Parts: sequence; structure tokens; C-alpha cells
Amino acid sequence: MSKDHTTADVAFIKALAELLNDNELSEISVKREYGENDALNVKVSKHAPAPQYAPMQYAPAPAAAPAAAPAAAPAAAASAAAPAKSDDPADHPGAVTSPMVGTAYLAPEPGADAFITVGQQVSAGQTLLIIEAMKTMNHIPAPASGTVKRILVSDGTPVEYGAPLVIVE
Amino acid sequence: MSTDGAWPAGHVKRVLSEVDSTMLEAQRSLGDLTGPTWILALRQTAGRGRRGRAWVDPAGNFAATLIRRLDEPPARLALRSFVAALALHDALAELTGLPEAFALKWPNDVLLNGGKLSGILLESPGAGVLSLGIGVNLRASPEPDPAAAFPPVNLRSETGITLQPEALLDRLAPAFDLWDRRLQTYGFEPIRTAFLSRVTRLGQPIIARTLTDEIHGTFDTIDENGSLVLRTQDGNRAIPAADIFFP
Repeated sequence: MSKDHTTADVAFIKALAELLNDNELSEISVKREYGENDALNVKVSKHAPAPQYAPMQYAPAPAAAPAAAPAAAPAAAASAAAPAKSDDPADHPGAVTSPMVGTAYLAPEPGADAFITVGQQVSAGQTLLIIEAMKTMNHIPAPASGTVKRILVSDGTPVEYGAPLVIVE
Repeated sequence: MSTDGAWPAGHVKRVLSEVDSTMLEAQRSLGDLTGPTWILALRQTAGRGRRGRAWVDPAGNFAATLIRRLDEPPARLALRSFVAALALHDALAELTGLPEAFALKWPNDVLLNGGKLSGILLESPGAGVLSLGIGVNLRASPEPDPAAAFPPVNLRSETGITLQPEALLDRLAPAFDLWDRRLQTYGFEPIRTAFLSRVTRLGQPIIARTLTDEIHGTFDTIDENGSLVLRTQDGNRAIPAADIFFP
């Protein structure tokens, strides 16, 4: 079976690159076993584009003005600020969390299309991904209809109980 | 609790001469379930293994799916992997009279003379539903795949014994029901203990492969959640999902 896998490998790597882009992931690393001493190791990764910092430099000026304005109403400002920013996606109201410890799969099987992509509309009950434990494939359904805002896990990686998987709004 | 080996009360048995896949048939029948239902196919034309792997299933082999509603969290549903493996081990040991020939591999393989005799796949397509598929090479086994962890074997060429699929189901269904009621009554501990007493390679080096990782260690135990525990150079690792290889 030591056939030349080149064509299949190129297609596989292209598929990974698409998966990376479609799901706004930063990196996917995969090992494919063909047999003894015959394996393919692939890592596709995307570095955040540096120019993104440039517009950020200009942002503070307009932002500073409204911040100074509500001096007359400090109470309102404080209450508005309080529920705002938690960086933990688990605190996001649209976060779908893992019901169990296991391995996350974004597609029903290797090489297949991912269940969802960022920006996609999903309906309540639709499978978002699979968590496997003990050879049990658990379909994780969308709790409500909405738009997939973020996918927080990558294919084939371990997840903990309660870990945020997907944000649907 | 009846342990007389009778068909379990309230369970439905369906025997199909041919179907694409008993797992697919189980999903299609979900709306019509009147109770836990075993679907046996004498031939599958599109059998499925884990993660889309084909499961070759010629006539004479065993292919069945149990589908049932179970109002339990997913981590608990997944423990049926061990229930199914213990039940299949019991059924085969009794029907062949060769208990020593069979062993278990985490989390749900039944081995015969060290080879892969069976495959068990569980799927929870939605909350509170469990499909549990079992394939057993009774008459034929596929060509060895160099990437597979174990050489496939079949019952007839290893033992000279021919078992009819339905005869195996009639012994498997009550065995599954018995182990399942043990789980429901006493929790996972007796299941874990029984599994450990029949599991292969305990205390020996094994390799656990996932899509993204390969962990080498000594098979230490199975923990209270059902995860495989490997003793590694970096301490103990609990592994909920992996393919197991022997070095």
C-alpha cells in the first residue's frame, strides 16, 4: 500500500486550509497514518495580519470623547460598564458549552464538510459539532436558532466539561 | 431482576434481511419507537464504523443496533460502551464455551485470541437518545489493514464454531439488559471493576492516538468517568477518546 499519496495529500491540505479560514481558526495540526513508517504531518496556521494594528491607533480619539461626556451621570456610566466586558466566552449568553469531557469534531468524518461555519444560520436542534468520549459520538445541538458567531474549538482537540464550544446569537 | 436469559421485557426485536446500515435504520425509526428496540440486519450494504470508516459486513456476520430513549446526561450515556462490551463478552463466552479466548480492549472492543472480532459504536443524535451499534465477525473478516491497530479475526476460522446472528442477539439482548440494570442500580463502579478484570494489557505499555496527539504510557486503570488512565513520564493522563495501539 505504499502508493504515492501526493495528489490526495494536496487535496487534504487544501481542505484543511479552507477549514481554517471558514472557521476563523488560527491553526490546525493533523497527523494522518497510512501505515507503518508512512504518515503525513500537516500544520496549517494563520498569523494575525499585522496591519490591523494601524486602524487601532486612530480609534482612541473618537472613543475618548463620549467617555468624558457623561460626567454628570456617573451612576449610569458605572452600571452600563459593569455588565459589559468579560473576555471569557463561557460567560457569553450565546455560548454552547460541552456537556462532557471528550474530543471535539467539527465534521461528521475526516474529509467531510464541517457541520457549521462562522456566519451561518442554524436552527434549534441542528448539530453544531460532535463530542466523542468512550467511542460515543454526542451530537451537540444548537439550543436556539441564530447565527454562528464564533467556533471556539478546533477539530480533533480535547475539551473539558463546561468548555465553551460555539457562540450562537 | 431476571437473569434467566429470556428476551428482556418491553424490548422490541426487528430482524431485517437487508438494510443500508442498522444505525441509519435506527435513526429513521426514532419517531415510531414503542420501547428499546434491537434492529438486526442479516446483511448491511453500507455498514459504518467510527468516524465514517466503512464496516464491511458480508452475510453471516452480526450487525445490530439498539436504539432507545434515555433521559440521562451524555457522560452517563457514554458508559453504555462498557455495558455493551461486557454483555457481548458474556454472550460470546456462553455460546462458545470458550470464556478464556475473549478479552476486552478499552473502551468497547471484544478481542478473540488477541484479534479484533467486533466493533461497537455509540451515537447520541440528540438529547436523550442513544443508538448503540454492534458488529461481530461471525463468519468472515476483512483483509488486514496495515493502519489498523489489530488484525481482524472471525469466530468461525478461529474456533470452528458457527453462530447464527439471531442466536447471538437472543443471548446479547438479555446480557445487555442485565449489565444496564446493574449500571442503573449500583452505578459505574461494578461495571468498571468487571471491565478491568477482563481487559487486556493492564499494567503494560500502550499507545493512545487522537487526531492531534499520541500518548505513550502504561495502562494504569480506568477512572470513575470511564476515561483511560495512562501513567506517563509527565504523570497520569486521563484520556476520554482515543484509538489504542500496542507497541
